[in-house]
Amino acid sequence: MDVFTSLITAFDLPFMARALLVLVVLSLVAGLVGVLVNLRGLEFISDGLTHAVFPGVAIGFVWGGRDGLFVGAMVAALLAAVVLTVIVKRAVTSDAAIAIVFTAMFSVGIIVVSRETNYVGQLDALLFGRLLTVSPTEVNQTVVVCLIALVLVGSTLKEQVFRAFDLEGALAAGYRPLVLDLVLNVAIALVVVAASSAVGNLLVLAVLIVPGAVARLVTNRLWLLFPVAAGFAMLAAWVGLAFGYDASVNGGVDLPSGATVVLVLVVGYVAALVVRLGLDRIRALGRRRRLVERVGR
Amino acid sequence: MIENTSQETPRANAAAALRVAAASFAYGAEPALTGIDFQVMPGQAVALIGPNGSGKSTLLKGILGLIARTSGTVEVLGAWPAPAGYIGYVPQTDQIDPHFPISLEQVVMMGRYRSLGWWRMPAKADRRAVAEALETVGLGNRAKTRFGELSGGQQQRGLLARAVASAPRLLLLDEPFNGLDQVNRDALIETVKRLKQQGVAVLVSTHDLDLARAVCESVLLLNGAQVAFGPRDEVLTLTNVQKAFGSVGVEMDEHTIVVPGHGGH
Repeated sequence: MDVFTSLITAFDLPFMARALLVLVVLSLVAGLVGVLVNLRGLEFISDGLTHAVFPGVAIGFVWGGRDGLFVGAMVAALLAAVVLTVIVKRAVTSDAAIAIVFTAMFSVGIIVVSRETNYVGQLDALLFGRLLTVSPTEVNQTVVVCLIALVLVGSTLKEQVFRAFDLEGALAAGYRPLVLDLVLNVAIALVVVAASSAVGNLLVLAVLIVPGAVARLVTNRLWLLFPVAAGFAMLAAWVGLAFGYDASVNGGVDLPSGATVVLVLVVGYVAALVVRLGLDRIRALGRRRRLVERVGR
Repeated sequence: MIENTSQETPRANAAAALRVAAASFAYGAEPALTGIDFQVMPGQAVALIGPNGSGKSTLLKGILGLIARTSGTVEVLGAWPAPAGYIGYVPQTDQIDPHFPISLEQVVMMGRYRSLGWWRMPAKADRRAVAEALETVGLGNRAKTRFGELSGGQQQRGLLARAVASAPRLLLLDEPFNGLDQVNRDALIETVKRLKQQGVAVLVSTHDLDLARAVCESVLLLNGAQVAFGPRDEVLTLTNVQKAFGSVGVEMDEHTIVVPGHGGH
């Protein structure tokens, strides 16, 4: 029963409570943004954005430590979101060009960090986060950044869905896709920034993409997608944190908390996928049986 | 009606719902369509007829302001750009992802978004408008169905309902008959007729002469440029059609234009 008591008791510890708070806020916003990423098929571009934000994180960190990290990431995120929106709009490039630009930026970030002493430790923290040593200041920063992203996406949600469903129709209705795309890309970039101290630059992609994908497996109802994605992400964050805590306290195994949360997300996805495939199979069999009965009669 | 105006020749002083004068359109530097000169009066319909690639979609997009106009004027109810909500547009359905998780009524609700504005959620009046639009196109009983599960014809009518829900003054339809069976064709024709009675002006691109004969007073023949415009039966002569379709082998019967090597519709 230890694992289950850990679901509650783990968060008596202030650092665990802070980690949970950061992840819950992040999950809520990443879930909403992630559904749009899924509907638009922007997974690859989101991946590019996480890479592009990295040099900003690195330069900010080298320049001003943990506080600088936040400023640098914000600047890089906004810059990357704007550049990306324009590149895609111009359509002068392919996926290859996006990949080249953003991996190049990622390399710049790594080179910047490599000038630091304790290079490996720093890089590790930037890439994979330091969920359990998140400071109260970082909690506040995360909440503020998430709030901005939430307002951006919330105020354009139905228009974003319109654009995702039918670009021509949205254009004809007088919407400017460039504006909508910019808003969404900035929101994605903000989620990347918000996540950089908690789950790090690499794992944030899972927080952005898995909940939206799970929601698509669970429901076909448009406005249910958003709460399902956010709720699933929050649940995974809670279970993942508690599981990591339990493994370390009762099992003596030290699990990196960010990665544990991500794995719980993925396990949840696999479970949803299996259930969905099973249900589809049963439904298909039922349909065939009805058909056979009708023909047999 | 006290005034006895002919259906074919609109009053000279009446305000056109759509007026296009000496207009040319281009994709980038490439001219796509030149010398367009016609108008659509409120409550009337014009058929856009021409071979594939003749500029039918280009003209619709030019009127929507989605591609550049290189010369001439376009006015929607005397204004350019068209005031928000004046134009209803029914695109072809083949661009739409059939797996998109959205119901028919949610698609139709999109027609109300422009008047709702950012942030606001649909109110009772919007829901009523959506329900009425669905009744108008004869899909009142499919409101909750996922859009991708509808047949092609029902999807087309759904997009028409979306345009209807936005209460447009000018309705643009891009090849609405493509792939439609007779039931859906009839439903579509009925809807367009009803909208015309309400004073909506209609511009519809089509291969199908049935549609032109059923609802359109005038025809605009296109082939990269304007070939002819005028009252339907005056324009739809074999000579004109051959000129537009660029082939002397073109034949025309009651229902369709037959281009050699392309089959009918």
